[in-house]
Amino acid sequence: MDKNNITDKLTSVFRTVFENEDLTLTDEMTANDVDNWDSLTHMILVTEIEKDFEVKFKLKDLNKMKNVGNLIEVLISKLN
Amino acid sequence: MFTENIISKFTSVVSQFPERNAFCINETHYSYGDFWKLIGQIRSQICAQNLTQTKLGLVVNDDLHTYASIMAVWMEGMAYVPLHPKHPIERNLEIVDQANIETILDSNTDSAYSSTMVIKTAESNNFSVSDKVNQISDDSLAYILFTSGSTGKPKGVQISYKNIASFAEAFMKTGIQLDETDRCLQCFDLTFDVSVQSFLIPLIHGACVYTVPHDQIKYSYVFGLLDDHELTMAIFAPSMIRLLQPYFEEIDLKKLKYCILTAEASPVDLVKEWSECIPNSRIFNFYGPTEATIYCVYYEIKDINNMKEANGMLAIGEPFYGINALILDEELKPVKKGQKGEMYVSGNQVTAGYWENPEKNKESFAQLEYEGEKQTFYKTGDLCLEDNDGCILYYGRLDNQVKIQGYRIELGEIEFHAREIIGGKNAVSFIYNGAQNNSEIALCLEVSEFNEKEIIAALSEKLPNYMIPSKIFNLENFPLNTSDKVDKKAIKELFKKF
Repeated sequence: MDKNNITDKLTSVFRTVFENEDLTLTDEMTANDVDNWDSLTHMILVTEIEKDFEVKFKLKDLNKMKNVGNLIEVLISKLN
Repeated sequence: MFTENIISKFTSVVSQFPERNAFCINETHYSYGDFWKLIGQIRSQICAQNLTQTKLGLVVNDDLHTYASIMAVWMEGMAYVPLHPKHPIERNLEIVDQANIETILDSNTDSAYSSTMVIKTAESNNFSVSDKVNQISDDSLAYILFTSGSTGKPKGVQISYKNIASFAEAFMKTGIQLDETDRCLQCFDLTFDVSVQSFLIPLIHGACVYTVPHDQIKYSYVFGLLDDHELTMAIFAPSMIRLLQPYFEEIDLKKLKYCILTAEASPVDLVKEWSECIPNSRIFNFYGPTEATIYCVYYEIKDINNMKEANGMLAIGEPFYGINALILDEELKPVKKGQKGEMYVSGNQVTAGYWENPEKNKESFAQLEYEGEKQTFYKTGDLCLEDNDGCILYYGRLDNQVKIQGYRIELGEIEFHAREIIGGKNAVSFIYNGAQNNSEIALCLEVSEFNEKEIIAALSEKLPNYMIPSKIFNLENFPLNTSDKVDKKAIKELFKKF
């Protein structure tokens, strides 16, 4: 799966979790930029990504996800 | 007292270890020398204003300027009132208004407050470094923290220099020893008083403080700090450890020496599992209302297989040095050991009262005779029991103790059994108004699904009929408030939708 496919699929997960159909992901995006993105919704987000992409994150992976760009990089490395 | 216990220790650290790191903020290290210089510049910047007021608002960003502002305010003998940049501006303005704040320190270049009020600390480098040490009056205010009030308006807890100095002295008598080689976690919002312990205690020992940026997800970032930087002391709310629980197998923090659990009751099953992730750490449970300055009662776990507990929650132990803790009945008479009552605390850590709030002060404090003298006791609202060893056990908030069908019940007991049934996951119980306008019990489980009949059957084996909840619902994850505690109010609100 290439970066564009991942971003598309990830966008739909974000839109569902944060209940915002207009959400557009950028690499620099952090929890500050999205309403209600906190520890709790992050946990839900992680679970949903794991389900949709059929991957399992380690805590060390989560720690690398400082922004959406990092999250996509982690997904690329998991999927390929 | 503050000058000796805090300021002198801090200045001696600065002169001994100017090259050592005072902070690590957003992956950047700052030395004590850098920190001292910035404090001195901000002091000059404040003094240049010729303020008549001794209280300053402080926008609490996660940066060196904000921490330097706190030390600058204190070295000038003034007080700060934290304003969180992520809280609604209306609430912050309500605080500014209540505390009669005229000046606000803000490290943002684009401040949310009126420019006539703001001192932009990012521009402090135009000022000279003030390094004189003032004698500070212990009775002056050091900070006012606003907590949510039951009337909907926030109420301000005023903490004096004497309160903080007494806290620091007592804290160091709990057996925690730090020096310039320690690395300590500061993961609390600066609007919550545990943050003061988390940065101040390391700073008076020359240790390095590691903070959490506001735009990061706290639990994973905190794990990163603990693991990458091999932190030696960490203070957490148990709810945060709960978020790490699915990953416990991956966590092995051998360098951690001190782990403090605080801010809410600590479930013993969670603590036991967590202890395997921190094999070389001493574990403490610290209890304290903001009104008694950060913590005032503590329990150290000496044997992980033999923890003192009540309803599955870790004991809170014994009072801090200088704190008197009494457990009283409704007529303010001491209860016998082994009996429950409300805990009252007195001593130099107890606040002089809520800011300009005589009604609340009357309600929350009592003048009681103790060892031959009248003392001001703070009514904690917590239900406690002292066992025969003098160890205090915690049974939850007094308002968690309710009468149903004439029976006095503790919601904590229902929660305890519910947690056992759902394999140690979290449970919250509360009272709601039933169809006949009578009080009924609701139970919320932190699980993705559950079988109501099975839960009720299992609870019925442990509890009398009148303690069985009439409504059970679930939330996949419990909401947390800004102090990382489980947000019971929010759960009750969500319940209305079910």
